[in-house]
Amino acid sequence: MSATEQPFSIYQFFSQLKLHHFSMVAQGLISQDILSLIALSLKRRPDNQVLARRLFALVVELSQNIFHYSAIKEFSVKDQCEIGVGIVAIGESDTHYLVASGNVANAENASYIARQCDYINTLDSEELKQYYREQRRQPVREGSVGGSIGLIEIARKSGNPIHYEIIPMEDGNVFLIFVAKVRKSVSYDD
Amino acid sequence: MENLFIKADTFIPEINFNAQSGELNISGESYHEYTLEFYQPVFNWLAEYLKTPGRNIVLNFRMSYYNTSTSRRFLELFDMLEEYQKQQKGTVTVNWYYKPEDVDMKESGEEYADDVALTFNLIPLTK
Repeated sequence: MSATEQPFSIYQFFSQLKLHHFSMVAQGLISQDILSLIALSLKRRPDNQVLARRLFALVVELSQNIFHYSAIKEFSVKDQCEIGVGIVAIGESDTHYLVASGNVANAENASYIARQCDYINTLDSEELKQYYREQRRQPVREGSVGGSIGLIEIARKSGNPIHYEIIPMEDGNVFLIFVAKVRKSVSYDD
Repeated sequence: MENLFIKADTFIPEINFNAQSGELNISGESYHEYTLEFYQPVFNWLAEYLKTPGRNIVLNFRMSYYNTSTSRRFLELFDMLEEYQKQQKGTVTVNWYYKPEDVDMKESGEEYADDVALTFNLIPLTK
């Protein structure tokens, strides 16, 4: 630690999260177990169950992006495989819930995902539905272990454009951020 | 042929396939990322089961959540059954259960119903 650097303060960390209305943050190995804990905590919320499931779907798909595409991976003894390292957070504004994810990614992978996002963000809900069904019939993208329909699912469940940000890092990798928003007042006719 | 039973866990569904009655039940949640590994024994069992033509099969889905990776596996399952119905004189019915308020699960069922040539019943759960 350099002399000018502030020591890490749990209190400041807590205050920051509170200020920005983040209720849940997981950082580190984003494993299946972490996901099931988040699922449990979302189910405990008394509000709308459909909304809770949509939020959970966003957490799952964003986490599984980290799981597979993070440039930093660690071996999990329990899962007996390598798992991506990243951060997942659930927050809220007055009108929306937010699910955000961040991880270090290979620059090329990140720009591929960004192009996908740009395209998906141009589609309306009916077009998203068609694109989802089309892509589900396609074999998965080379080098991809998960469903490449994850991003489409994120756009569908959130009902909003997917926000992303790519921050270049010194080592040539990038830090890839996704934010998916869901309106708090979900209409059942949606 | 032996029945297939896999106990549900936090991110895997319960699989309960009855070889005698032809009733195949999948229920719970499915968001394991390595869905290929989890579903492989299910596909293997089904492939074996479908070697006998003319079976009467009822597939009951009672899912509360599944991820996109699982969604691909379900489509593969339906494709196997569609093929069986076409080529092996089988009769396949899919019962897709959903909680009445769960508009997303209902829509997912409708999308599969459009994508495969199988009898699809969308059934709201009463309790």
